Amino acid sequence: MIDLLGLVPAILRVSTPLILAGLGVHVSSRAGVLNIGIEGMMLAGALAGVVISALTQNAWLGLVAALLAGAVLAALLSVAIHLLRADLVLSGIALNMAALAGTTLALFALTGDKGISSSLPSLTLPMVRLPLIDDIPILGPLLSGHNVLTYAGLLAVPLVAILVNRTPLGLAMRAVGENPEAAAATGVPVLRVQVTALLISGLFAGAAGAFLSMGYVSWFSQNMTAGRGFIALAADVMGFGYAWGTMAAALLLGTTEAITLSLQGFGVPSELLQAIPYLVPVLAMVIHARRRKRREAH
Amino acid sequence: MIRFEHVSKTYPNGTVALSDVGFSVAAGTIHAICGENGAGKSTLMKILSGLELPSAGSISINGEPVRPDSPRAAAALGIGMVHQHFSLIGSLTVTENILLGQEPRRGPFVDRAKARARVLDLAARYSLDVDPDAKLATLSVAAQQKVEILKALSRDTRILILDEPTAVLSPPETEELFRRLVALRESGLTILFISHKLKEVRALAQQVTTLRAGRVSGDAPMSAISDDEIARLVMGEAGTSAIVRPEPQSAEARITVRGLTLRARDANDRLDAIDLAIRPGEILGIAGVDGSGQRGLVKVLTGACQPDAGMIAWDGKSVAGANTGALRRRGLAHLPADRFRDGGSRRLTLTENALAGAHRNYRFGPLLKPRAMIETTRGIIDRFAVRCPGPLAPLGALSGGNAQKIIAAREFGSNPRFLIVDQPTRGIDVAAANFIQDQIVALARSGCAVLLLSADLDELLRLSTRIVVLYAGRIVASLPNDPELTPARLGPFMLGLEVAA
Repeated sequence: MIDLLGLVPAILRVSTPLILAGLGVHVSSRAGVLNIGIEGMMLAGALAGVVISALTQNAWLGLVAALLAGAVLAALLSVAIHLLRADLVLSGIALNMAALAGTTLALFALTGDKGISSSLPSLTLPMVRLPLIDDIPILGPLLSGHNVLTYAGLLAVPLVAILVNRTPLGLAMRAVGENPEAAAATGVPVLRVQVTALLISGLFAGAAGAFLSMGYVSWFSQNMTAGRGFIALAADVMGFGYAWGTMAAALLLGTTEAITLSLQGFGVPSELLQAIPYLVPVLAMVIHARRRKRREAH
Repeated sequence: MIRFEHVSKTYPNGTVALSDVGFSVAAGTIHAICGENGAGKSTLMKILSGLELPSAGSISINGEPVRPDSPRAAAALGIGMVHQHFSLIGSLTVTENILLGQEPRRGPFVDRAKARARVLDLAARYSLDVDPDAKLATLSVAAQQKVEILKALSRDTRILILDEPTAVLSPPETEELFRRLVALRESGLTILFISHKLKEVRALAQQVTTLRAGRVSGDAPMSAISDDEIARLVMGEAGTSAIVRPEPQSAEARITVRGLTLRARDANDRLDAIDLAIRPGEILGIAGVDGSGQRGLVKVLTGACQPDAGMIAWDGKSVAGANTGALRRRGLAHLPADRFRDGGSRRLTLTENALAGAHRNYRFGPLLKPRAMIETTRGIIDRFAVRCPGPLAPLGALSGGNAQKIIAAREFGSNPRFLIVDQPTRGIDVAAANFIQDQIVALARSGCAVLLLSADLDELLRLSTRIVVLYAGRIVASLPNDPELTPARLGPFMLGLEVAA
């Protein structure tokens, strides 16, 4: 009924923002800061990319602006929780609400439309044809010709794994994330490590946002992230604390969404189908919890 | 070598931790610092290791005035600290823990091969063998302490501070540690040893400084001072009280355990066909090296988990399937080994900690009666002589001994029929320990059945009616506590060299 192979491009397209944002959550979580504000950072990135690419007529400058927008909001969150000692969860939720309202306001101020930015002549980021692989029959069209950020996201997985596991910063992050008092007693600058991790998280959120507004479409719409930041949070938890796990979880969640989209043509009630992306995380958490329980028992 | 002059520390909340402390430490010696909990020992060492700054006074090393304002700065001065609660991270490897913050690099990466070699080199130099690749959480407490010591020695350390290092160790592990410390001293290190166990101070130190209520109460070479004098300087007027081992008040066992078995990955939880009977009025002592099944025994008896086989009976009736709440309604009280993790909440107030569970007695409709609760807590603070800012202070603001008193007051005050006390006096000062021990004995005399788990053999021998030795989850000896029973007699059982079952 479903042509799974034919779904591969759709899966990659749907999964890309989840992988990018999931890696962002992963990096900050390792350092002990759960980035609840990832959704708002993605939204800000998505809008910044559209606006700057429209103004400069350069897609790459748009991407840079998206990354910066994510990082700026991350810095803001860091000021709130580290300098002003505000609660992490409340600050993150506040950031998400402010980002939703702020991007809508900016959209209205720039275009006179509160819904969509289609009047802005914004650009898209290019597709990449992989040399050699492109020529392989069957496989070629599946693996080649995706958006540059899709490849960037996949490439970022090993890079993040290396950052976390093999670099002094990564070691400090893991120490701070697990036991900040002990890390501080050793002389690890806890604050600096957490701020750095949060800024990296913001950059990933910005990239995820840019993919949404500049990947396949060339417009920004109100609340275009539609909860993907929260699904990325779930992807990180489902990833058992590994970058590879986060990617696998993001792909699993992306696959269910892609299947849902493709099933809509088969007369299955769409309301039921739309529930699938929310049921999968629940199912995954149940399996996760049962496995952990069994492991602890023995 | 190290000289403290007029060092004072007043916390922002007004607590005076240290006032006008002055003494010197000679290079290449082991210098003991004794004092009750809350006497200021830990604060003084935190100042020396850069975790806190003094409010007044000065410290000099080799004549140079120093003022370490961070652990890093202290490390640069050659000061390394072995914390009582280790500053280690469970999911990291031994190598990562030791070199955290100073890892060798190759380009942007940690040079793993070099890091490993450095740890092996360090371990060989101080003959402290550790597995550099083991994940820390999988190691025993004694092995973790070795890692903590190596970490403190890893930065050209000349002064090593140990805060209550034996609190978590079994007797053979303690002996091993002492041999290492003597070897370290012989290699030229200056060691500051914080303890309130006089026997250990006697065995190790050349000089002792006593602190009481934030002031130096004595400073003398070990050869010129007797144990009694040290005890007097530490505790003031009060002395150690002799305790008579309580006698069972009935032949009928209140708690019977038959064939209790718990299969677990962690040796600390594993139990293999345990048989026990505890009669009203007696204290049954459990001896054994760390990780012999004590934790599993407590878990099963408190209803935190169900056994894989065997049964537990109260007054001859099985309590299979009963959870902690149900057992507590039958009269269980439990003073846990980790007072801050399982015993109480650091962030809640003394009142909330002291009356949790009993809070239902302070109801006014759906609300609680805070004033009555605070009054009761004030009574507990007075009766148990708890040193604290007041009944609304958070538990975390108290020293270990004072926090333990608050939790003990809660557990002992519930009129228990079966009391489990797990390491009741670990890491707390002599006065508080004596007090808590007296309370345990008083409860036993009033007809409560008591199970006492302790790593402190003196405590077991002083309090217990009978002593059972656990080894690898099994009972290897069950002995009446008569004058012939000594630590030397228990040692071989605890190490699994002998079985008398």
